[in-house]
Amino acid sequence: MNRHPPKRVLIAKTGLDGHWRGVSAVAHALRDAGFEVIFAGMARPEQIVAMALQEDVDLVGLNIGGRIEVALRTISGLRDEAPDIPVFVGGTLPPASMRQLAGIGVQGFPPGSSLSAIVDAARRLTGAEPSRPTPQDLGTPRGSSYEHHQPVPYQ
Amino acid sequence: MTSPRNEPSVLTSSGIPLKVVYGRDDVPAGLTSGWPGQRPFTRGAHAQMYRSKPWRIFQLSGFGNPEDEGARIRFLLEHGETGFIMEHDRNTADHLYDLDHPDVVARHEDVGMVGAVIQSLEDYETVLDGIDIASVYAHPGGGVVQHAPFTLACYWSVAHRRGIPLASLTGTSQADFFLTYLGCITKQQIPTSAGLRLNLDTLEFCLERMPRWTPVSIAGYNGADSGLNGYQELGAVMANAVEYLDGLAARGTLDLARAASGVAGVNFRVSLDLFEDIAKLRAARTMWTQLLEQRYGIRDERAARLRIHSLTAGSQMTYQQPLNNIARGTIMALAGVLGGTQSLGISGYDEAVSIPSEHAHQMSVRVQQILQNECNLTAVADPLGGSFFVEALTAEVLERAWSFFGQIQDRGGFLATLDSGWLHTEAMQNQASQLEEIESGARKVVGVNFADGDVSEFEIDGFQGSSDAWERGIERLERIRARRNGNLHKRAMTELERACNSGANIIPPMIEAVTAEATVGEIGDVFRAAFGDWTPPIQF
Repeated sequence: MNRHPPKRVLIAKTGLDGHWRGVSAVAHALRDAGFEVIFAGMARPEQIVAMALQEDVDLVGLNIGGRIEVALRTISGLRDEAPDIPVFVGGTLPPASMRQLAGIGVQGFPPGSSLSAIVDAARRLTGAEPSRPTPQDLGTPRGSSYEHHQPVPYQ
Repeated sequence: MTSPRNEPSVLTSSGIPLKVVYGRDDVPAGLTSGWPGQRPFTRGAHAQMYRSKPWRIFQLSGFGNPEDEGARIRFLLEHGETGFIMEHDRNTADHLYDLDHPDVVARHEDVGMVGAVIQSLEDYETVLDGIDIASVYAHPGGGVVQHAPFTLACYWSVAHRRGIPLASLTGTSQADFFLTYLGCITKQQIPTSAGLRLNLDTLEFCLERMPRWTPVSIAGYNGADSGLNGYQELGAVMANAVEYLDGLAARGTLDLARAASGVAGVNFRVSLDLFEDIAKLRAARTMWTQLLEQRYGIRDERAARLRIHSLTAGSQMTYQQPLNNIARGTIMALAGVLGGTQSLGISGYDEAVSIPSEHAHQMSVRVQQILQNECNLTAVADPLGGSFFVEALTAEVLERAWSFFGQIQDRGGFLATLDSGWLHTEAMQNQASQLEEIESGARKVVGVNFADGDVSEFEIDGFQGSSDAWERGIERLERIRARRNGNLHKRAMTELERACNSGANIIPPMIEAVTAEATVGEIGDVFRAAFGDWTPPIQF
């Protein structure tokens, strides 16, 4: 049993591109690692900032399928209005976008990134302890893990 | 001494156990009989296959402004592409939003990044300027179900204005449910039942007036690249076809054999599991022939000859060591060719970074030209026919695809499994186990979890296209709204609304609407009012 309540992560898609493979994999991996994931779906920058505050999350994960500019505007909005909430970014990130993110101190995860590296980053950014698997987790097929969580409608 | 055939099995990507070696008794009786071009078409759609007609080099392209899109299509045609596929901006086309929709304005930098901004008939004319659409085979976009009627009406109207009779026009539509109801779910779209109605309207319109046009093309690719395995992809494609054929049978307006020929142009994903995908394409033709005969009593040769477009798996292209993707694309393409595909697209080697640069696009065409001209691949039809292994695998994929088809039918049919999320769950479970295998190292991916050293790192910038697509598109939008004939436009939109609500065929009023310079967002407003929104069934 965890001594602390689970850390809360808001996952949002910045663009109107509906590819969900990556974001789904990350959401499942974070849940399997003990995080509480709130999925914002396709949300505008100001909506993401508002949701991060409203949901009192410990971390925001942005999935980007468009240009880096939209993510940068979102990050800037978060830093203005919720400076304590860290951000990381995943998705189709060309090397130049990776450098831009690094330049503002944000970690980016391009295609092919390992899920354990993403989970490690989430733990580091939120100060979460590595979770111990519960008996329920053991032997649970990974693909079915989302059935155990509070459903959040896809938008 | 143990026979090598009793060694522990290895699995295909769909989980089919593979023996070390196959023999005569592994091949089910009956499957090797027949010739290419003859029922059940296992061995190929045509008797002479690539000697009579090489496969079509058919690449997806599009970004930025209409001029950018036109330039890239002409570039590809000049370099040897033999048909073109237009890619449209996701923000506007997939959602049927104009550029001033608040959801698009909020992400205006993204506009035109992965598809061209085409909001009106005028934009279509700009794209197609200098392209001989009377002779080139086209797929004018419209992969998205709710977008297809608009984009087809625009393309056909350009042809009409050039004096090209619709009856002589060659090309294909797509209007694929796998795309936005399973693989890339849009923020907003019409319900599946309304989408089916639009596709049936398109089928009716084309089958009555456009004998050389493929009215819809079910794209299993979009299901497979979202996680469905090979036999699931095939079973689901056939279940989708049943929705069209049952729908047309219920309308009773067309001869069903003729209708079936309009549904017989489909699309499959070809992946790195070379032999399973060869088997899948062979099984697909067989299954289609069986489906038509068993369910509809159709034995018509033209209807029973499944025509296949193959596209290499974008999700198997890696971000790391991107030049390796040229080898991957070649192997996946080979699956399409050895499986007897009629047309082929190869993902760019920069697929994991961006849409294709000119160079990546050119490489996709060059690989196809190498396969067509340097390898003697076009000489012999169904070169693997009679291989113990390939015939056994074809039979196995076919059997499993029928079983999966049955599971979909038991759950109310293809659209019902999209509405309920059952198909999504199947796809997600496969995807999760694939990722687990990569994460654990059980499945090796070169450059990603294995062999990741690179003596000379090759970095791809990521093709960024044009950065002014939103601004310039807004200018065009405002100009069109200001200059068009308001009365004509209003009357056309009223007619379109009436057709949506009455059940009359949507295509003729859609052509009137685009001719009156209706914009893509205005079409979307009519659809949203008439049909409402689909509720995605999945949770992440």
